[in-house]
Amino acid sequence: MTLTAAPPRTTPTSAPRPPRRRLRYAGTVAVFLLPSLIPLVLFTLVPMAGSLWVSLHEWNLIEPMRWVGLDNYGEVLADPKTRAAFLHTLTFIAGYLPLVYAGGLGLAMLLNRAMGGRNIFRAIYFLPVITSWVVVALMWKWLLNPASGIVNWALGLLGVEGPGWWTDPTWAMPSIILASAWKDLGFVMIILLAGLQAIPNEYHEAARVDGASAWQRFRRITLPLLSPSTFFVVVISLINGFQVFDQVHVMTGGGPGGATEVVVEQVYRLTFQYGRAGAASALSWLLFAVVLLVTLIQVRVQRRWVNYGY
Amino acid sequence: MASAFPVSKALKYLLVVGGALVMLFPFAWAVITSITPGGSVLASPPDFTPEGANLGAYGKLLEVTPFWRILLNSAWIGAASTILQLVTSAMAAYAFARLPFPGRGALFAVYLATLMVPLQVLIVPLFIEMRTFNLIDTYFAVLAPTIASAFGVFLLRQAIAQVPKEFDEAAVLDGAGHFRIFALIVVPLIRPALATFAIFGFMASWNSYLWPLVIIKSPEFMTLPLGLAELHGRFTTEWNVVMAGSVVSVVPILILYLFAQKHVIASVAQSGLK
Amino acid sequence: MTKSTRLAAAALATAVLATACSQGSATRDTSADGGKVTLRYFTFSAAPDHVKDLDTIVAAFEKENPKVDVVVETAPYDQYFTKLQTSIAGGTAPDTFELNYENFVTYASAGSLLDLGSVAGDSAPAGYAKESLEAFKHEGKQYALPASFSTVVLFYNKELFKKAGVAEPTTSWTWKDEQAAAEKLTDKKAGVFGDFQPVQFFEFYKTLKQAGGEFLSADGKKATFNSPEGVKAATWLVSKVGKTMPTEAEIGGTADYDTNLFKSGKLAMWHNGIWQFSGLKDVPFEWDVVVEPGDTAKASAVFHNSVAASKTTKHAKEAYAWARFLSSSSVAATTRIESSWELPPVSNQSVLAGYLKDPKPANRQAVFDSLKSIALPPVIKRQQEMQDAVTQELSNAAAGRTSVEEALTAAAAKVDELLG
Repeated sequence: MTLTAAPPRTTPTSAPRPPRRRLRYAGTVAVFLLPSLIPLVLFTLVPMAGSLWVSLHEWNLIEPMRWVGLDNYGEVLADPKTRAAFLHTLTFIAGYLPLVYAGGLGLAMLLNRAMGGRNIFRAIYFLPVITSWVVVALMWKWLLNPASGIVNWALGLLGVEGPGWWTDPTWAMPSIILASAWKDLGFVMIILLAGLQAIPNEYHEAARVDGASAWQRFRRITLPLLSPSTFFVVVISLINGFQVFDQVHVMTGGGPGGATEVVVEQVYRLTFQYGRAGAASALSWLLFAVVLLVTLIQVRVQRRWVNYGY
Repeated sequence: MASAFPVSKALKYLLVVGGALVMLFPFAWAVITSITPGGSVLASPPDFTPEGANLGAYGKLLEVTPFWRILLNSAWIGAASTILQLVTSAMAAYAFARLPFPGRGALFAVYLATLMVPLQVLIVPLFIEMRTFNLIDTYFAVLAPTIASAFGVFLLRQAIAQVPKEFDEAAVLDGAGHFRIFALIVVPLIRPALATFAIFGFMASWNSYLWPLVIIKSPEFMTLPLGLAELHGRFTTEWNVVMAGSVVSVVPILILYLFAQKHVIASVAQSGLK
Repeated sequence: MTKSTRLAAAALATAVLATACSQGSATRDTSADGGKVTLRYFTFSAAPDHVKDLDTIVAAFEKENPKVDVVVETAPYDQYFTKLQTSIAGGTAPDTFELNYENFVTYASAGSLLDLGSVAGDSAPAGYAKESLEAFKHEGKQYALPASFSTVVLFYNKELFKKAGVAEPTTSWTWKDEQAAAEKLTDKKAGVFGDFQPVQFFEFYKTLKQAGGEFLSADGKKATFNSPEGVKAATWLVSKVGKTMPTEAEIGGTADYDTNLFKSGKLAMWHNGIWQFSGLKDVPFEWDVVVEPGDTAKASAVFHNSVAASKTTKHAKEAYAWARFLSSSSVAATTRIESSWELPPVSNQSVLAGYLKDPKPANRQAVFDSLKSIALPPVIKRQQEMQDAVTQELSNAAAGRTSVEEALTAAAAKVDELLG
């Protein structure tokens, strides 16, 4: 398994070296890597190992741990709630990812052009990203209030009877998807903007001189050269999407009738409310396995479409 | 292209402005709610010209929380965290993008893997670890998990991968070592990504809640999200005060964003892509 | 100096600064400092509104006990137990902490609490209302002292009653009277609702008792609420929804919907706790309270908070002294009453009489009357799971997704599993 970028075409350091230079090279790598690696090991990998250990125990945090081997995994796998939670999480991702990527890309393209006040617009589109979910959730609940919300009022003008949104098991997840995509548009926008900015202008100039249309330039230049940023957005959004929690927690708390119960909501509840830290850890490692698998597939596939270096 | 078709340009503006209004709405709503006195704050439909609007909620905010102390804590922890993350992540990203070594792919996979376990189950083991280091209830403990950022390493590795290799190859021919290439060529070229990451790194620290909640005990170390959470009572909540707190907590990130945005723009030709 | 070295230097400086700060404030253990004992107290009920009142009580205690320094730590209720559990798991439990009645059993049976009787010596707890003190015994041991309580009463809008020509509620009202009045008071065109009682665990266990049912079997090993009385109670709650009370869709997840509905004069009757009193001071209409109507019996919900000490505390005697002071001293009791910070569970009626002085609501006496027949929530070790399961099934019935009978059968099965 390798996760590196496309193999370097010519690297000054790839030629065979005498031992002393190799040692010096290893030292260089270490100096670049260790400032990040040491804290990562100490403050993330060690707790991860700890949670793996916890997953083999029955533990309510306030009593001593009791060894149960793989029982927690067996229990979590057999629990129909687990399957439901994964299903809800996947539904969330399936709705959220395309929406937020397409919207974010559109915005980035639009606001990358010279236009009056574009900095102000960028800031405005970024505003929801930095607003807390507590505020955002309250506002969206108000907008999507089935009885008195603006959205159903507008639908009513069009002669459509608005759904029950939060309060209807069928519509609760779409409501969360909508609010989440709206909030994260600016996140995707800013990352893709940074990617767009890094594309040298000369490429576009040259293509224009060659008579390429706007659409051709988008397909042949922008998209391929933006692919590392796109790859980043997709991988991170998937990793985060699988761990969707905040918005569900503040908006529906998993309801109505468990329709929006997602994996991490269950992890949280098991750990801190139900005194089942072991089961929560087991569920988390199950989630980990799924996310890792999905990410590895993406990494495999990326070689076909992600374009590194020039 | 656009300038040749004023109609399409107007349409585009309409789209951008319309979208901006939708995006501005919650913030405006939060501001209005924060200056609306008493219980009608969440009235439906809301009153956008509330009677007796005042800044009382902001006063209350100062009164019920040691507000300036909290703000200062959050600000300096956020600044320290951001700087540390920027440095450690940019350096590691350079190694992953430009310095081949055995096991590099596997190590990068480990970095990504750290993003895949929910924070909720790491809290307790991390707490116990901090306890053994005798670091509970310290600034350092709040900061520690944010020093390394897998997110940042990934983001910056992607950015460095986009830097044309010819640039550093030319530098190598001039006899430059990796430290000089990193500092003089790569870092300036990935400034948009660094600025972007600075915003996210600061935000992550600024909004961080669960970890500070468990690790901080003394009120004098309290951070902003902890202070704001205390505004919620068990049975009743004064929403205007909560909204005032939310509004205030957004402002510093917004300032940082505007500052960082200038850098994003400054690093490329002003015209952008036409 | 190049940019990157400047950056690195800044980072280094920050790191050093961080370490320095951490040194300066390394974990303050509850160790003696010049013979002075530092006693930590962790609470959810003080913030945001009663921090100053707690300070008053702490100051009075420290004056009486000059060798003890009480350090208060607060957290909002929603996250309080996350923090408490983590600190117990990490072996850094606060010396003393607040526990509500529903969570008391979990902590007592986990062995996290100090048996206060073992350190009381000749100063056995005294001056408490008997039921309150009993509530915090577990297996015959006093693991916590009751510190405060609140009850749930029926709030009503006098003007709406007058307008609809309906007689105001009295102590002798039953569900039938409430229902008849609620139907007359509901005026959907004007957006006025007759009644509001949330469909959830806490309302259910209470109405079950009002209907004469029991939630758990006497030995506490089986759920017994799936009974004719249980069906009656659940039906009573569910039947209001959409008729005299707004539906879930109408509420639409709006925060404090019921509070705002009552405050805006569009809710005639409201089942809620006495903690709402202070928020209703300035509403522009007349309102009052009355003991909740019952069915075959009267039963009022009581929410109790207590002070417990950690089993691992090194200052057991001081912890007990503080727990006693906070729960039953006259300073604590009067401070609570004067600031409407719930009620002190003391037996001294003259202290409590101060509570009646406040003119609003006129019938404050109802709060004490409601104590004559209280309904304590059923508590089991896996409390939160039970509450969530019952609430979820009941809200399915309220939304019409299942019948009341199906909901109770499913809820009882879940609770049995939790008990098993």
